[in-house]
Amino acid sequence: MLHYDFMQRAFGAGALIAVVASVLGVYLMLRRQALMADMLSHVSLAGVAAGAFLGLSPTLSGFLTAIVGAVAVEYVRRVYKTYSEMSIAIIMVGGLSTAVVLMSLNKATSKSFTSYLFGSVVAVDTAQLVLMVIVTAAAALFFFFFRRPLYQMTFDEETAKVSGLPTGLISMLFSIVTGMIVAAAMPIVGVLLVSSLIILPAALAIRLTSRFSAALLLAVAIGLLGVGSGLTASYQLSTPPGGTIALVLLALLAVGVLLQKLVKFIRAKQKHDSAENTELHSYGPIPRLGDDSQTS
Amino acid sequence: MLLASLKEVEFGYNDTPSLHNATIEVRSSEFVAVTGPNGASKTTLLKLMLGLLKPWKGSVHLAKKREDGRKLSVSYVPQQIAAFNGGFPSNVHEFVLSGCLSRGSWLRRLNDKDRELAERSLRQVGMWQLRERRIGELSGGQKQRICIARALAGRPDLLVMDEPTTGMDEESRKGFYELMRHMVDVHGMSIVMVTHGLEECRPYLHRIIELERKGEGGWKCCTTTLCSAHSAPAR
Repeated sequence: MLHYDFMQRAFGAGALIAVVASVLGVYLMLRRQALMADMLSHVSLAGVAAGAFLGLSPTLSGFLTAIVGAVAVEYVRRVYKTYSEMSIAIIMVGGLSTAVVLMSLNKATSKSFTSYLFGSVVAVDTAQLVLMVIVTAAAALFFFFFRRPLYQMTFDEETAKVSGLPTGLISMLFSIVTGMIVAAAMPIVGVLLVSSLIILPAALAIRLTSRFSAALLLAVAIGLLGVGSGLTASYQLSTPPGGTIALVLLALLAVGVLLQKLVKFIRAKQKHDSAENTELHSYGPIPRLGDDSQTS
Repeated sequence: MLLASLKEVEFGYNDTPSLHNATIEVRSSEFVAVTGPNGASKTTLLKLMLGLLKPWKGSVHLAKKREDGRKLSVSYVPQQIAAFNGGFPSNVHEFVLSGCLSRGSWLRRLNDKDRELAERSLRQVGMWQLRERRIGELSGGQKQRICIARALAGRPDLLVMDEPTTGMDEESRKGFYELMRHMVDVHGMSIVMVTHGLEECRPYLHRIIELERKGEGGWKCCTTTLCSAHSAPAR
């Protein structure tokens, strides 16, 4: 399978995006912005259609539109803190309907419309691959250097702001990175399934571990496993790659959650049997200062 | 040194102002309580002081630097902080360690001193034994305590807390007030906290800021009562 040039590219592109999309997903989920990826992909589709209509590179115009959309969403989020779901729904409809109308006006591109909707990772061209490499590198740098500020902000934005973090700037950069990753991930699973690549690995990872860095690494591992096995399965079974990858990720999530429940159940039973509750006993009220000399 | 001040500040969430003529001052090494009935804009007062809300009128000042020229570090423990997302994948130790970032540059690496301070803060709130627990699994009172530990780990110059003793039992509350007074006396921290349990914490306080009802519905600020004027707390 790997001796085909197009499959090599597919695996390369899939692996790159799986890494950054999974990390992004952890932050998006915890910031309660899981729908943002979906919305940006719909907006980006309008950009792709507009690019094709105006005779520009659809890849580039889709990419730029996703970033502009991300910046716009960040502003809307700041103004309307309580109505984010509504604004997401409105922007999503706007993006998709614009795309449909523009695509129908341009007969030449309407053929590949489904490839944008459902992805065509085996048809990734060099321009898209270059874009993916650049996006992955930029996103990886951002996530590495800002990992601690992002942790603080993801937990609570107000306290992060008071402690001196430039939350406005970091939040804006985060939105831009989100737009970039969404646009770069579109050729792999398509507009309609982009969020599967971003949300599903994160959804499983944050359940399985109680350390933040471990959750990020676990999400990456799950993302890579899902994309790799999804691509292989789609090659063997001749099914569409985008849908297959999403299904494999869903199956991983279901199996993972079930296994976790099982392990928890068994552990709880063991604990109950041996009546080991040392942890509970060793925890007491806030110690009085006279009691010990720990405070200094 | 004057750390934070509000001068004749007016603020409201809709058309009519809910806070009138608020004038307060917070100086270094002070333990101050803010009190008043429900809906008296106590939280609003804190948020205005921290620059999280912009006043309609009047001026707000929050010192940028300490007396020795270093950056003034501020920590905030909001009221609902303990109601955080239960699925947050982090353990107690990692969470408290993250509070150290309010000292120094926010892009710096964490060092041994940070780890030491995180451990000490966790011991001070009696949560060191639970350091490996996932933060989402803790009870409300325990969450409240690790949020306080996170703020203490940053050794802020100014610590602002909104009803920090919610969910704490009496023994813990006493330990908490002693710890706070210790931070003020020994480490020179300034602490401002909103509280309803004034009678309990009065012996430990330097000053009380009280929000009072104004004639036509809004709230006005503030009567300041001197408590123990920098003397040792009565125990």
